[in-house]
Parts: sequence; C-alpha cells; structure tokens
Amino acid sequence: MEKYNFKRITVVPPYKDLINIVLSKTQRKTPTVVHKHYNIVRIRGFYMRKIKFCQQTFHDKLTAILTEFPTIQDLHPFYCDLMSVLYDRDHYKLALGQLNTARHLVDNVGKDYVRLMKYADTLYRCKQLKKAALGRMVKIMKRQSQNLTYLEEVRQHVSRMPSIDPNTRTILLCGFPNVGKSSFVNKVTRADVEVQPYAFTTKNLYVGHTDFKFNRYQVVDTPGILDHPIEEMNTIEMQAITALTHLRAIVLYVMDLSELCEHTVEEQVRLFQSIKPLFKNKPLMVVCNKTDIMTLDDLTEDKQHLVRDLAEDGIPVLEMSTATEEGVMKVKTEACQRLLNFRVASKLNTKRVQDVANRLFVAFPKKRDDVARPPTIPQSVQHKIEKGTKRRKLERDIEEEQGDDYILDLRKEWDLANPDEKYDKIPEIFLGKNVADYVDPNIDQKLAKLLEEEKLREEAGFYHFPSDDEDEKELEAKLTVIRERRMLKQLEAVDKRNNNRSIMPRSASLASEHRGRKRKREASEGPSEGAATRSVSRAHGKPRSQSRDQSGLRDQKMITKAKKIGRKAQKERNHQAKKGEGDRVILNMMPKHLFSGKRGNGKTDRR
Amino acid sequence: MAVRCQFESNNDIGVFSKLTNAYCLVGIGASENFYSVFEGELSDANIPVVHTSLAGCRVIGRMCAGNKHGLLVPSSTTDQELQHIRNTLPDSARVMRVEERLSALGNVVACNDYVALVHPDLDRETEEIISDVLKVEVFRQTVASNVLVGSYCVFTNQGGLVHPKTPTEALEELSSLIQVPLVAGTVNRGSDVLAAGLVVNDWIAFCGQDTTATEVSIIENIFKIGDGNPSTLQTDMRGALLESMT
Repeated sequence: MEKYNFKRITVVPPYKDLINIVLSKTQRKTPTVVHKHYNIVRIRGFYMRKIKFCQQTFHDKLTAILTEFPTIQDLHPFYCDLMSVLYDRDHYKLALGQLNTARHLVDNVGKDYVRLMKYADTLYRCKQLKKAALGRMVKIMKRQSQNLTYLEEVRQHVSRMPSIDPNTRTILLCGFPNVGKSSFVNKVTRADVEVQPYAFTTKNLYVGHTDFKFNRYQVVDTPGILDHPIEEMNTIEMQAITALTHLRAIVLYVMDLSELCEHTVEEQVRLFQSIKPLFKNKPLMVVCNKTDIMTLDDLTEDKQHLVRDLAEDGIPVLEMSTATEEGVMKVKTEACQRLLNFRVASKLNTKRVQDVANRLFVAFPKKRDDVARPPTIPQSVQHKIEKGTKRRKLERDIEEEQGDDYILDLRKEWDLANPDEKYDKIPEIFLGKNVADYVDPNIDQKLAKLLEEEKLREEAGFYHFPSDDEDEKELEAKLTVIRERRMLKQLEAVDKRNNNRSIMPRSASLASEHRGRKRKREASEGPSEGAATRSVSRAHGKPRSQSRDQSGLRDQKMITKAKKIGRKAQKERNHQAKKGEGDRVILNMMPKHLFSGKRGNGKTDRR
Repeated sequence: MAVRCQFESNNDIGVFSKLTNAYCLVGIGASENFYSVFEGELSDANIPVVHTSLAGCRVIGRMCAGNKHGLLVPSSTTDQELQHIRNTLPDSARVMRVEERLSALGNVVACNDYVALVHPDLDRETEEIISDVLKVEVFRQTVASNVLVGSYCVFTNQGGLVHPKTPTEALEELSSLIQVPLVAGTVNRGSDVLAAGLVVNDWIAFCGQDTTATEVSIIENIFKIGDGNPSTLQTDMRGALLESMT
C-alpha cells in the first residue's frame, strides 16, 4: 500500500521560481566581498566557488525531481498503464529524460568555466567568466520551462489519485455511464462519490473500503464505458479499461434494466460481450440495478431472454436497487464471498498457505477413556434472564463517587461462615508467635503425630545404613586418614591466615632498632620449616634489598668509581646552585609570543 | 462473548488476572477500571472476583495455578495474602502453598478442571500436589518445544488455544491428552504468549485490547463462547482466515 503513495512528491517550481531560488541561494551562501588588490588566486577561488555552488544547487534540485517522480517501468502494470493513459507515457518519459540531460549540461558548464577560470588574470575577467557561467546555466534551465510546468501538472494530478492497492481484495464496478455504479459504492462503503443524473459524472477512478468476514475489501468505481472500439475511447473510458485489465478483482457488470441511462438492454448486453475478453480469469457477476423501476420479470420477452442467456453461461445475475437499498447488501456479500473463494482457491497450493496450515487446522480429540468431562457453567449464566437495564454498582462507580477518599476494601468480598466477623481485627503476631502458623486448630496434634512417626522410623533403623562389607571397612579406614589430614591442613591454613598482615612501608619501620644489623641471623638463614612460613623480614616490613646507591654495582671498586663520576657530574650544577638534573630550569623568562601583540579578553596566556 | 480490556494500558491482562470456573483473581492496580470489567461481566455468574497480590506482586496470573477445585500459590505468598484468598474463595476450592523451585506456577502449569499440562522439570512432589488439590490428570509436556506450557497454551473444559508454531501432529497429540478441540493461534495482534493476552473459562473470555476481530472470533469459536463452535473454524471461517493470514 505504502509503495504506491504518490502524495509525497514535492512541488516542482516553475522555471522562473527555480532560477530565483537557485541564484539567490548562491548569493546567500557564498562570500560576497572581494577586492581587486587581492591575490589573484584568492579572487579566482572566490568566483570559482560561486560557479561551483550554483551548479551544485541546480544539480540537487533536478536530482530531487528525478528521484521523486516514479519511473514508469518500475511501477505495477496497473499504475504504469494508468499513467500512460492519463499523462501520455512518452511525454512523461521525455520530460524526465530532458531534465536529466539538462542536469548533465549544467554540470558540464560548471566544470568548463571552473577550468577557464584558471586563465583569468584580473578580477574583472574572473567576474565576467562567472557571469557567463551562471547565465549559461540559467539558459539551459529556461529551455526546460515547459517540462517543469508539465511535471507540476502531473504531480498535482497524481497526488489526487486514489491509492489503489493492485494486489489486495478488490471489487471492480463497470458498465455504461449512469447505470448506478457510483451509488452502489456510496451505499456499501464510506466513500463519497458524486452521483448526478447525467452521463460521465465519474471521470476518475474512485476507491472505497468495505468489510466482510474480518477482511477489508476495496471497492473501485470506474467511469462508464461506451460501446465502441478501444482506439476510439477517450481518456476517461481508458481508465476503466486499465483497471479492468490489470486489477485482480471480481468484476460487477452493472446494468440498468429501466433504460433510464439512455442505453437499451440490448446495447448493454452488447457492451458486455465486447469487453468480455477483459473479464478473463476473473470472477464475474452481472448486477441489474434500478429494480424499483423495472425488475427482470417486468421486461419484454426478448430482453429477458438476453439477460437470461448471460445467466446460462454460468454468470450469476443479481438484482438490486440502490435507490431503495433492496438487494444491495446481498450483492455485496455475494461478491465478497465469490472473490474470497476465488482468491483462496488460487492460493491453496502455494508455500505461504502451507506455512500457516497448522493454524487453519482444528484438532478434535480422540477419545482415550470413558470419563465424562462436562463444562462447568453456572445455571444463572446458562439461562441468562433479561434483567432489563438495571446495572450493578461496580467498584469503579464507588471509586468515582468517592474520588480521592476511596480506599480499597479487601474484606468486603470475604465469604465467612459468620459474616459479623468480617471486620474483626486479626493480629499477625500474638504472644510472640505468628498467628498464621496456628490457623489449623489441630496443628499440635499433627506435629505430634509427625514426630511420633519420625521416631518410629529412626528406631526401625530407617536412617541407619549397616556396613559389614570388608571393602567398606577398608574404605572407612582410608577415609579417616584423609579426613584427619584435611583437618590438619585446615588448621595450618588458619595459622597462615594469621600471618597474613599488611606489609609495612620501609619508612614506617623502626629504623633505630635495626641500625646495627640489617637482618637477623635466622631471617637470612632461609626458610626452615617448609614453604608454609614466610620470610620474617617481609612480614615485618624490613628492606629486602641493599641500598639503592649500591644496587647493580659489582664490588667496592665499582662503587667508588661510580661515586667519583657522580661527584664530577655534580660540579657544574653546584656552581649554578642546582640540586641535580631534576632541578627546574626556565630557559626563557620572557617568551616573545606571550609579550607581543595586543591583548584581548583572555589572551594573557595564549597568543 | 469475548471482552477486550487493558490493565493500566497494558494488553497482557493474563499476567494480572486468573480466571477459573469458580472464582476470579485480579491484581491490585492503581484504579478499579480493570477490576470492574471482571466484576461487571461475572456479576450474573455469582463467582467471587478477588483483589489480591501474591508475595506483594501484582503479576498474580503468572504466579498461581488453579481451577474450580483449588488454587496453588507459590511459597513466597505471605500469610496475610493466603488468609485473604482463603476467606474469599468458595469453600469448595482448596488453597495451597507449594514449595516449588519454579515458583511462577502460572507459567509452568496449564490446566482445566480435568487435565493439567506441566513443565517437564517440575518437582515430583508438586506434581502430586497438583493432582490432589486440583483433581486433575497431570501430563509433563512441551508446547511447540517451549517448556513454559502455562504461558504458551490456554485451555478450558470446552477448547484450547496453543502457540501459533505448534505443528499439526503435536496439536493432535495435545488434543487427545486434554480431550478438548485445539487450534494454534495468537492474541493481541499476533502475540504468541497466549496466557498473557487471554484469560478464559467455560462461558466467558477476556483478552487484551489489541486483539483483532479475527483473533476474537477464533477465541469465541474454539472456546465455545456464546454461539461459537470449533467446527466453524474449518468450514465457514476457513477462507477468511486463510485470506487474512497470507
């Protein structure tokens, strides 16, 4: 449905407007000030930008038009033919094609003049080139002025076209002008098609929707057709023919037996015969309208015979009167039912139906025993007595009445043996016990019984599993060993856990205490009682390694050498009263970029 | 007659209510609109419509299982809630708390007054309780390879609706287990969690507001509500159903 919505096409501006839009946009969106003393490169860039911008804007406008208008060959054949009937397919294609060419031309002009701009050596020449470029683009567009107006007309017409879905359930009405097709549509749908007592009141296709058996059907009203060869038919009639050819629908051929439409019954039957090829592969019905004036039985013998002949060909002939609404609903139901049957039959063996086959299937039970399983429906529902209009006061009404004061009363519905007790206070806890646990009056007896049972069971050895097997005893012994060992391990783990204190930083340690000796002897002896104990030095936060000025040095000789080098390196810095290479240095006390130029707001630090 | 309604603009009304042939439980909402729909429709049947919560939650439909013989509530139900339910329900209906790991009983048990389908992993003890309290035959089953039988099928003594993807053979098997006609269908415009969108007993059905006319007519026919008759689904309505589904 969404696929065939032509209402969203934007307006196609006429040539003058288009030019104005594009040129003023170029003016607005590009820089406007240039001076002749500027560098020539800058001047060239200034005008180049204008040309390019103008060309791009034209390009975008045209592209928008070209993409929004539907391409005829991509449409459903129905819309394809309808458009060719209404707007002349060739003209339409040509218009779009020419716009496409114009777009190319504009692009080329833009490209050429940008290239030429390279050779312009003064502001004046640059400006002349720009003027020429824009002028040529405008001229190209001017040649498209007729196409633009044509496309705008097409757009206006197309947007008013009814959105007919060519693939859905459709009822299609056709027949001579003024036989009552539109009045039928008005009766069965909510569409409001104009009905007048003269021929060709309906000049377009109209669509309305009606419901039948949970599905929606679209009813398409076509303009009347006259009985003449297809080449002589006008645009209005051709729309009806297009709809008849391409819509998968049930066709209702409407006849007027009273001949008030100024066509005799014979003529109407002749028209039916001549457009019969269009009804091929479609369900078909003949509907005789205006029975309030003339019914089928009132006709003369030979006329009746003509109509009856149709019925003999297997085409159902129904009668109705749109004036008195007699038989209208019957025609609608019959048409919908026939269309439904036709569509179901054509779909029946497709994959999509097989996919939903399980949902169309109702499983009826096979009897598995002789138990009766009757439904439980209360008597009052079964014999529903007409109670009149008296309505019970609902909780909602009470809520509405009381407004904000409403409080939900849960106990109202309580169904107690003694209704007086309904609003009695019930404690949740009484004497330190949960009242709900004692709701059952026999709870103590029941508990006693259960305990008794349990005791008996225990005595009877219900929970005792005797083991006299030799293997099992051995297993038991092994298990004891394993258990003991596990217990020991657990104890050990507990012990270990006590050692697991946080490590103290070096500075926090008691330095004076250990000044004489770096480590205690036992600490340096290494782990004595297995991996389980940790190094004591770590646990007490003592330094683990030697001092840092000696680390990585092999021996005393190396150490003295390193110290000497260090002292030498410090000499220069000592002159400058610097601590070391980490001491801060400001190389330039007054950086030029911070002290030159004007100072605006917030320009103290960065300029 | 199938009634469309909403719980606080939520279409999953089966989550907030439980309907059986002997009583109806309704979750406590902010207003009485939802409750009154049930109250009004069930007024001539004279069955109690009970405001309740279970374990402080309003999603009672998914937490309890029951039929006209009884009601099973999860172990998390408080004593006060249990007492309230006991006081309101007719004496013929036994109320029992069940110690079950799968505590959302509504999702794992689907039952009518004679048969229950349960989750395959349900406790043996719970199964016994179900058959004792609800007086039903219990079958461990899946519906369209879903273990949550309580969510994906709804049935009464007259008919049943199962998950839309249930194959034909499974439908037949289930139907002869439950001994009622079954059809695969949807509620709430194509939702497959049927028990969430539909609560039904032997004479009335309530479904979510989104349920389409086609779905309503299927429900009325399969559950024999009003003048419904399951066989019309295969005769009169077949064409229309096929047309609307493809």
